[in-house]
Amino acid sequence: MAKKRSWLKRLLLAGFILAVIGAGIYWYVATEKFSDTKDRKAAFTVNAVDFIKEFEKNATEANNKYKDKIIIVNGRVSEIEAADTTMNIKMADTLSNSFIIFAFQEQHISEPKTVKVGDSVSIKGSFSAGIFSEILEVVKIDFKRSALNK
Amino acid sequence: MKKTIFVLALVTVSFGLFAQKKTTTSAIIAFDASTSLDALPKAENKTAIAAIDTKTGSVAFEATVKNFSFSNPMMQDHFNGEKWLHSDAHPSFTFKGQIVDPSSVDFSKEGAYKTEVEGVLSVKGKEQKIKVPASIVVKGNSVVATSNFSIALADYDISGVPIDGGKVAKQPKITVSAELK
Repeated sequence: MAKKRSWLKRLLLAGFILAVIGAGIYWYVATEKFSDTKDRKAAFTVNAVDFIKEFEKNATEANNKYKDKIIIVNGRVSEIEAADTTMNIKMADTLSNSFIIFAFQEQHISEPKTVKVGDSVSIKGSFSAGIFSEILEVVKIDFKRSALNK
Repeated sequence: MKKTIFVLALVTVSFGLFAQKKTTTSAIIAFDASTSLDALPKAENKTAIAAIDTKTGSVAFEATVKNFSFSNPMMQDHFNGEKWLHSDAHPSFTFKGQIVDPSSVDFSKEGAYKTEVEGVLSVKGKEQKIKVPASIVVKGNSVVATSNFSIALADYDISGVPIDGGKVAKQPKITVSAELK
């Protein structure tokens, strides 16, 4: 009888420990935030116009190659566009009008104000996708959580 | 002389046609599917393309699904995953529609107008006709358009345990705002 109780206690204790570990993992995953893009290692460093041309040539291949990667893009600012109270930076291929657009990470939201059209800049961001816009009839490449790469 | 007049007329007509279509590549589309059980399912996309034809009243939007930015990595993975938006197969949300009553907005006169927009929303490759309220503010050369509405996830074949369990709203709120020039 005593042996049976001891076994039951061990089972309950193991169950309790597993529940605590499970809750801890869930809490960690559910409250995790994206880290600062500036501190993340880039998988690729590219030139803006060459990057755009890759997507114009074969969007499927380029999307697979850069999927979910942190990328440093070097290029010239073609436009700084207001998105409500924040700003997005664009780099365009002046021949095709296809473009890359960078939305900035919260802690870097004011950085687009420090550059102007025509400046050569380096931006690190999280690649989202390159799609053909039916509205503008050009290729558009999106980045989120971007930061100036100084 | 005739040639000069013809060229001037062509330039004027071309400019007129160009001026009636206003666009932006920084429209904001936000969705909020949070519930009392989970505050995480909400995100924002600040790089949507929007266009409005001030002559015909046609309206169009395009948003890259993967550019919705979440605070939580796990939530973003779920959102883009096969069971949810399957963004690898369906990379963008699109809307093509029309101001229901074009006379309800005078694009040549500064002011704030309340109107309705009707059209087809495509999510995850599934198309649904929707009719939503919209506010349009005409100021100088720009048009600021905003709209708040809800969609039913079931209409776009989006379902799953988190929805049934009340962790994701069945009808998320969608907010659209765009400054078109």
